[in-house]
Amino acid sequence: MLFSSIPFLYYFLPIVFILYFLVPRSWRNAVLLLSSLFFYGWGEPKHLALMATSILLFYLFGLAVARSRRKKVWLAVSVISGAALLGVFKYADFFVESVNGLTGLSIPLLHLALPIGISFYLFQCVSYVIDVYRGDVAVQKNLLKFGTYVSMFPQLIAGPIVRYADVAPQLDSRTTSWNDFAEGLSRFLIGLGKKVLLANQFGALIRAFRACESQSVLFYWVYALAFTLHIYFDFSGYSDMAIGLGKILGFSFPENFRYPYCSKTVTEFWRRWHISLGTWFRDYVYIPLGGSRCSKGKWARNVLIVWMLTGLWHGAAWNFVLWGLLFALLLMAEKWLPGLSKWPGWLRHSLTLLLVMLSFVVFNADGPSGVRSDFAGLLGLSGLPGVTAETLYHLRSNLVLFAVGILGATPLPKTLAGKLPEKFRSLAEPLFLLALLLLCTAYLVDGSYNPFLYFRF
Amino acid sequence: MKKTRTVLITLLALFWLGLAAWAWVRTPDASSDWERRKLAQMPKITTNSLLSGTFMSDFESYTQDQFPLRNGFRRLKSEFHYFVLRELDNNGIALAGDQAFQLEYPLDQASVSHALKCFQSLYDTYLQDSTVYFALVPDKAYYLAAGNGYPAMDYVDLTAQIADGTPWATHIDLTGLLCADDYYATDTHWRQEKILPVAQAICKAMGAEPSGEFTAEALERPFTGVYYGQAALPLAQETMYYLTSPLLQRASVTHADGSVTKVYDEAKLGSRDLYDFFLSGSEPLLTIENPDADTEKELVLFRDSFGSSLAPLLLQGYRKVTLVDTRYMDPKLLSNYVNFQNADVLFLYSTLVLNSSGALRG
Repeated sequence: MLFSSIPFLYYFLPIVFILYFLVPRSWRNAVLLLSSLFFYGWGEPKHLALMATSILLFYLFGLAVARSRRKKVWLAVSVISGAALLGVFKYADFFVESVNGLTGLSIPLLHLALPIGISFYLFQCVSYVIDVYRGDVAVQKNLLKFGTYVSMFPQLIAGPIVRYADVAPQLDSRTTSWNDFAEGLSRFLIGLGKKVLLANQFGALIRAFRACESQSVLFYWVYALAFTLHIYFDFSGYSDMAIGLGKILGFSFPENFRYPYCSKTVTEFWRRWHISLGTWFRDYVYIPLGGSRCSKGKWARNVLIVWMLTGLWHGAAWNFVLWGLLFALLLMAEKWLPGLSKWPGWLRHSLTLLLVMLSFVVFNADGPSGVRSDFAGLLGLSGLPGVTAETLYHLRSNLVLFAVGILGATPLPKTLAGKLPEKFRSLAEPLFLLALLLLCTAYLVDGSYNPFLYFRF
Repeated sequence: MKKTRTVLITLLALFWLGLAAWAWVRTPDASSDWERRKLAQMPKITTNSLLSGTFMSDFESYTQDQFPLRNGFRRLKSEFHYFVLRELDNNGIALAGDQAFQLEYPLDQASVSHALKCFQSLYDTYLQDSTVYFALVPDKAYYLAAGNGYPAMDYVDLTAQIADGTPWATHIDLTGLLCADDYYATDTHWRQEKILPVAQAICKAMGAEPSGEFTAEALERPFTGVYYGQAALPLAQETMYYLTSPLLQRASVTHADGSVTKVYDEAKLGSRDLYDFFLSGSEPLLTIENPDADTEKELVLFRDSFGSSLAPLLLQGYRKVTLVDTRYMDPKLLSNYVNFQNADVLFLYSTLVLNSSGALRG
């Protein structure tokens, strides 16, 4: 079930909230677990069993790691199990296709459908067992609470990747207040607006670009910018909605985005973009490999491994691997070329934005051949005209959208809102939120382009 | 102040809940006059539909279609999209002044090829001994798109392809006889009261007696065309006129099922699409008899809906006009109903149908 859908907004969510706030506090985890399973089963009835199995499995692994003398063995079993589940459901066909391509063999593909959100919930499961092994968190003995943590619908299918440590105390006892309810609702509606009013409109432009028969070099650049804004508003919108829902329900989820397009370096970009994934890889892969406190060679190896895995996490295709490796090279270049830090801020900002935008062209390409053809289009090597009437039409038609998107990706709107008199703000904000709700509903009723990008990861 | 904000946002939540409750209890509508379609109904729950996920997708369609104040929400979306985001079209419908038109581009080569194949098949089967004419009806975008900065299909290419693909027909160019104002502002179709020059040009090209004198009469019910609901923009309702004459008042129309009506079908005045008033709307096969005919000439008109308002204006020059719509009729059956001997044959198709010809049969 999509957050940005009428069934979620006007059926599932009101019913869950009514039940959640009406039942005694001690039943709230049960309400949350059952509603989360319903939420997941609505979109993926066939994969509900896989999720239930994962919950049970990692619950038992947690207990085994906490209680057994052979902690390391159980830790290894749990990490391997997580990797195996991901390997089978997400990477098996990619691996087989690659082997077939390299060797000329014809090993049959499994053709397994990718369970929605598997990368998110398995990463949460694995990190939980690692944290138990490290002694960072106490083992969860209550299966209902563990199941609630793993399956919690606000963050189940597109993050942020919530660590067990972040919510462990709240699983035992949490408070809800009208103030948190208002804060959460506000955050949720802002996220919904980002998704429905901005991301979906950029998505429509991207579809028009892909369907266009009179491409031009300019249209490739318009597409690159549109996708860069699309993925930001899509993903950060989802994170806002998740964080807002968490707040309403009494949970505090970590921030996932901090205006990444304001970054002046690629390193800074990754401190602001998909923060929960970046910190996950930092804490569970990069630092265990030795981090940066080692020789230059080992550091380079660590960076390459982490970014290849980051690329692969996003999808089982070579363009994602390429995308990850591209960031590895950019991060190494920033570290090894200290002169870069002396460049003027505007130049570093522009260069970072350009590199990030081009990286997203790789990200969204249809495999390596798609990367080649998209870059040929961008660089004018495909024999396309510089501009066509259709390009100008789409550009004119989306000028306001781009202006709103570019401004909305900066802290400016929030800063300006903060400067308004508090009395005015306390009245204007609810009205703005009401307008967002009505407009998003209007767009959803009219049935526009809607899928979340990050569901496939 | 924080308290005021919290109270107001809580009231917003209550409003949301109220809207949700309304959605749960309201009685579903069967159809939408605005969108001219049946609305999705609550799907049945079966094990199969649950496991395959079809129940979930059907339920989503149901909730969208049956949402309270659906038309109001669609209008809100359209106005925001069009007037705030300044997008140049909404759901593929654009505005040029008070004229709404569909962005019909690019030219679908496969569709044109399919249409040509159907026409060739008709010619090979029935028309080798007939005198055949072809008139392409430009859609509104022909007059409005390029001049207003909208992308348009390659009409020159389309015209050339049609001419090359039907070398057995004499082609009648209508483009210079029409302008954007000759079409309804809210609909795809041309206005009957504006197409007399078209009818005269066609009669002249076919050597038939030109149309006579007509009186324009207005229908009482206001007309809202297909774009009115699709665009969901604040477009003005229109007045529909029809051209009548003593001949047309006496002429009778025989339908495929044997029923007989008048040229202007008053039974259709309550129809969802008022354009059905012309020759009863979508019909596979019709014949219009001319009670005053002093000629034995007949006309067979292969047509789409544009033909409904044009055909009455061609009647004067023929004893009988037979209208065939191969979107609703298998052409193999034509020999049972139509005599092509000594008949002029006119293909009258709009560029809209040729660019989306999947329903045509040949």
